[in-house]
Amino acid sequence: MFKKILIANRGEIAVRVIKACQELDIASVAVYSEVDRASLHVQMADEAVCIGPPPATESYLNMDRIIQVAQAAGAEAIHPGYGFLAENPEFARLCEKERIVFIGPNSRALELVGDKIRARRTIEKAGIPIIPGMKRLPEEISEFEEEARKIGYPVMIKASAGGGGKGMRIVCSEDELRPSLEAGMREAKAAFGDESVYLEKYIEEPRHVEFQVLADNYGHIVHLFERECSIQRRHQKIVEETPSQALDPSLRQRMGDTAKKVLDVSGYNNAGTVEFLLDKNKNFYFLEVNARLQVEHPVTELATGVDLVHQQIRIASGEKLSLKQEDVKQRGHAIECRIYAEDPAHNFLPSSGKILYLKEPKGPGVRHDCGVYSGWAVPIYYDPILAKLVVWAETRELACQRMKSALDDYIILGINTTIGFLKDVISHPQFSEGATTTGFIKNYFDSWKEKEGSDERLKIALAAAAFYEFSRDQLAEPSTVQAKEVISPWQTLGKWKIGGKG
Amino acid sequence: MDFEFLVNKARHKVSLEKKGKHFVLRHKDGSFEADFQVISANSLSLLVDGRSYLIYIARDKDKKYIYLDGELYIVHKPGDKERCIDREEDRSQKEKSLITAPMPGKVIKINVAEKEAVRKNQTLAIVEAMKMENEIKSPVEGYVKKIFVSAGDMVDSEKPLIEIEPE
Repeated sequence: MFKKILIANRGEIAVRVIKACQELDIASVAVYSEVDRASLHVQMADEAVCIGPPPATESYLNMDRIIQVAQAAGAEAIHPGYGFLAENPEFARLCEKERIVFIGPNSRALELVGDKIRARRTIEKAGIPIIPGMKRLPEEISEFEEEARKIGYPVMIKASAGGGGKGMRIVCSEDELRPSLEAGMREAKAAFGDESVYLEKYIEEPRHVEFQVLADNYGHIVHLFERECSIQRRHQKIVEETPSQALDPSLRQRMGDTAKKVLDVSGYNNAGTVEFLLDKNKNFYFLEVNARLQVEHPVTELATGVDLVHQQIRIASGEKLSLKQEDVKQRGHAIECRIYAEDPAHNFLPSSGKILYLKEPKGPGVRHDCGVYSGWAVPIYYDPILAKLVVWAETRELACQRMKSALDDYIILGINTTIGFLKDVISHPQFSEGATTTGFIKNYFDSWKEKEGSDERLKIALAAAAFYEFSRDQLAEPSTVQAKEVISPWQTLGKWKIGGKG
Repeated sequence: MDFEFLVNKARHKVSLEKKGKHFVLRHKDGSFEADFQVISANSLSLLVDGRSYLIYIARDKDKKYIYLDGELYIVHKPGDKERCIDREEDRSQKEKSLITAPMPGKVIKINVAEKEAVRKNQTLAIVEAMKMENEIKSPVEGYVKKIFVSAGDMVDSEKPLIEIEPE
């Protein structure tokens, strides 16, 4: 087992990986950009090194610098988290060359599945159904026009190098194609350093169902069942759950077997996710392999009891996967809500700035993977994810109920977040019925506004405002407030322990 | 003590007076008695007619964020409003023709040139924040009077990007 790991990421996922290291008695090295000095992952790690200016291209994407830091610190392995360098085969190759273990798939598999077009060819050859689309990257924009006509509008533009909705566009007609391509290519370039995009048929009313898979270095592969991630805005997931309401045991088994086959034919090792689209008639199509730990991995952890980050680290260190397919069981229901610094009432516009106050939800079956704290300023440079709220309960109905009360118990003041929006999503009758498709947000929440409070509550709020003004001396000034009231998950944990004496 | 607050653009006059251990709050025509208890620097307990309210509160300059039973109230100081009223007419004109970024970020592309005619909702510029591109559209028909920024510039949400002379 490793003695020291460098985490080449920031925010909640860096915190998540550092916690796993602590549990496995592995020292952790954090890296950070100049704007992230006060970030939670820097505070939590055993060592922390600044790797450059705020733009990701000069810090979190600076491969040479990160390798250099790993070598200087004596880290034997690098965990890339998700995003940034997580699916960059060049980085994986560089690690291999420098004899640092990349905690993820080998560079050849990463290259194959990361090149979405080559991956589709390999997958199609293995007899796995795929969505009609381009089989190679075009050299000129005019080729896109021809291909789009051949596939038939609406078509989807997708970034060859990435996921997370970056660079993605739906194009309904030919005159929209060129501007959408330009925007998609720019976004892909900014997010992944590679502007290649391709087209595929856009399937209407689909569900997004993906399978979590683990593969060790010796060819042993197990799947850990599905996650349904149909609730998306801007093609980016915001609510994920397991099990999916759309699968029955036989479809689940077929999809799980297919997912394992995908990783097998790709020569893949470590954790990966195979994404499928499921159409109205329960036909499934292979979409892509997410060659990384995913944002939504906690729902799988809660429903299967398997710690995916532990497994990633163990597999990378050369251990054999001790799990057998028949040992992995789905238990109860898990739901995740992504808490973004965005304004859901204004087209999910990112919201940066200082978090004046944060109160974490807690209680039985509630997990909060969080990368922020009261008093911390959300920078403008990175993905606006703040935290993930995950619940588990025996049934889906109870899990929805638990998620609602956890969201009610969750307060972030000072910036816009998706908390209020998510409450309404979870409470929506279509969601309660499990009738979730990728068009859900567009269909039911297109012009969503926060509900206005009652007159009675407004009076109470005004009374509080007046009292606050009246007794400034009793309620400390915000500058001292922040020094006193910086609530991090660690302090919250501390309080739990103190409370345990009763 | 009298206070004036702005909530959701509506102006509220309230008065708060101490009466023994309690406070009396007057708002519009009504009044009620409340018992306040400071819980922490950011939380406050209120008892009104035996009903218990837990309030979370945080302040940023002239803005107070007040969270109560799942609802957020953003309470401004009255000062802003006075200034708004004075310049309201002037301002609404200005707001239409002076285009600002909706959030702090980086200018990726300016799609128009000075003196160019623009349609309503035409994309004028693209600003990126937190890895998302946001198209800045023209609120009016007119022509581009002045461009204040160029591609690559960092902008905050106050700085004007482009001025449009409406038709």
